[in-house]
Amino acid sequence: MYKITLALKYFLKRKISYFAVLAVTLCVFIVVIVMTVMNGIVGDFKQNNYKVTGDCVVGTSSLVGFAYYEDFIKILEQQKEIAFVAPVIKSFALIRPKGTNTDEALEILGIDPNSYSEATEFGNTLFYNRSSVSDIFKVRSDPNLVGCVPGHSVLKISQTGYSDRTRISRYAYSISCFPLTAKGAPADAGTSMVRTKTFYVNDISRSGLPRIDGSIIYLPFDQVQKLCGMDGPTKRISRIHIKFQPEVKLRKGCEIVRSLWEEYSLQKQTETQAFLLGTVTVQNWKEFRRDSIAPMENEEAELIVMFGFVGLTTVFIVLVVFYMIISHKSKDIGILKSVGASKKDMIELFSIFAFFVGLLSSVIGLFAGWLFLLNINRIEDWLYKKYEFQLWDRAIYAIGDIPNRVNFTILLIIAAAAILACLVGAFFPSWQAARKHPAEILQVNQL
Amino acid sequence: MEVLLKAEDLYKSYKMGPTKVKVLKGANLTVKKGEFAAIIGASGSGKSTLLHILGALDRPDKGIVKFNGQDLNRIPARDLNKFRNKKVGFVFQFYHLLDELNVLENVYLPVMAGTSIPGWFLCRKWAKNRAKELLEQLGLSERAKHKPYQLSGGERQRVAIGRALMNEPVLLLADEPTGNLDSATGNSILEVLESLNKAGQTIVMVTHDERIAKRAGRIVKIIDGEIKGA
Ligand SMILES: Nc1ncnc2c1ncn2[C@@H]1O[C@H](COP(=O)(O)OP(=O)(O)OP(=O)(O)O)[C@@H](O)[C@H]1O
Ligand SMILES: [Mg+2]
Repeated sequence: MYKITLALKYFLKRKISYFAVLAVTLCVFIVVIVMTVMNGIVGDFKQNNYKVTGDCVVGTSSLVGFAYYEDFIKILEQQKEIAFVAPVIKSFALIRPKGTNTDEALEILGIDPNSYSEATEFGNTLFYNRSSVSDIFKVRSDPNLVGCVPGHSVLKISQTGYSDRTRISRYAYSISCFPLTAKGAPADAGTSMVRTKTFYVNDISRSGLPRIDGSIIYLPFDQVQKLCGMDGPTKRISRIHIKFQPEVKLRKGCEIVRSLWEEYSLQKQTETQAFLLGTVTVQNWKEFRRDSIAPMENEEAELIVMFGFVGLTTVFIVLVVFYMIISHKSKDIGILKSVGASKKDMIELFSIFAFFVGLLSSVIGLFAGWLFLLNINRIEDWLYKKYEFQLWDRAIYAIGDIPNRVNFTILLIIAAAAILACLVGAFFPSWQAARKHPAEILQVNQL
Repeated sequence: MEVLLKAEDLYKSYKMGPTKVKVLKGANLTVKKGEFAAIIGASGSGKSTLLHILGALDRPDKGIVKFNGQDLNRIPARDLNKFRNKKVGFVFQFYHLLDELNVLENVYLPVMAGTSIPGWFLCRKWAKNRAKELLEQLGLSERAKHKPYQLSGGERQRVAIGRALMNEPVLLLADEPTGNLDSATGNSILEVLESLNKAGQTIVMVTHDERIAKRAGRIVKIIDGEIKGA
């Protein structure tokens, strides 16, 4: 009992323990903020990847695509676990903005707006047609023209320009594709090699993923199929996006699709273009977007390692502070031992002290961090206006506001880590002090 | 009278760099129950060292201390703490109170140190009452809530005596309890010890002052690391 009483009194009466609290509080504060923001950024980033993908993708990365998809889509649509299915064609094209002479190689994505925005959250990335997705390729001024939807950084105008819808409809692209046969040979060899068509900007998509927003133009499914030479008697596509029913677990759903696909491709073994089916894989959205998610996860891992070092610093601060406190308190150790306290008691005494330091620091640090996070966007705006200083570069992290949703599990982990760091930091000096012979301490004090 | 403490052939030396300082060189001492013994010797003669060994605060290099017939060397370290807590009370020259605790808390500290948390809650009332009684005996009732730094040297030493008596130890060990006090104040402390001894308390006191030693029932001299008793 005296250990708690005494630890509390040491804690309250020794100014140096406030320094320890201050130092640990600062560490907690910084870790809370950076972890919350980083966790939010990574979370948002993953969420955005999910939004553009749906739950599961059956597809090939081959530019030739794969055939016999229509029957498979019918099979998928019959599954009770599957909510939506959307065929997609992906290819590369030369893109020339109307009125210029420069081509740019970009990705084109042929989609059926309705099914694609059911299987993914494409509809929500649009600027104008969120509530009428089926109209995104219909040019209002002239029904004979075909619309397209570029990613917002493909269309190189500032955001303020978006508000004027008639203005963006002046932009158009002449899009040229190299159609390929199922074998991968140029489909129009001997004639023109490329198929070209002009599309008029009718909407803009902003997914929050810079790579997608800067390199993709969405086009009508049929048009792309034609441009890429995937039409004809045996039609081909690149992939099928699938959204499961809400209650279906991702793994379970993907397993179902995988076994359906295996069965289906076996059935089609004898068909003429069966060789294309071998390149098709079934991936969940994380696997499908791995190239994009993995670097972000790496960054998060690096951050965690970095904050491991912050924790280590905390340990050292506590260690130093405890050395100072305990060297002041060696007389007390002698006294306590002379009235029968054991080595273990001494370690416990200072561990309780350290626990108080850790606990108070965590409480203050978490609370201060929480307050700061609540206002982080206001603070950052202010910093930016006043000093042009941005904590998180928007171009790199692709975020609008700094995410500040507090994750209570993370808070708990940080608090536990802070307390543990204090205990570890206090252990060595208190163990050393506890080993001292009381007779020696009291003797030295007499001299 | 019954023998309480028997020290046989104690040796103790300290390493001071390359040289070894031999402090105790075969010291023998017997203390009977109810005795008030004074150990007298020059500064640096090893009085404190001897006292610490008698109270199991230190171990001799060689030799045996028997307490109530029990060899202290054979008591494991863990039980030695209990022994110090229950059987002996120390009074030091420099009082050695805990600055953060008030007078009352300093007095009942040995009870807290000797009990677990639930145990402490069971005996807390008793301990506080006993501490208050002790303070009253020592004339410090008014000072219970004061901090050590608010007290005079004599008052502090009386608090230290209160603490030493808290667990009703069989043996009270006092290391120059008056060494830091003026003679009048020192006298009052000696009176306290005398009255305790009259009530049956066994006391071993260390001093370098003959006049103070004379107040004790028996004087032993420590010269050159050995006891030249009387
Ligand atoms: N921990 C120690 N390390 C080294 N030397 C020590 C230690 N403790 C005591 N000594 C030495 O042992 C000798 C005896 O010390 P001790 O404190 O027992 O003497 P004392 O008789 O109590 O002296 P005083 O009257 O000054 O209190 C001294 O020379 C002292 O320097
Ligand atoms: Mg001494």
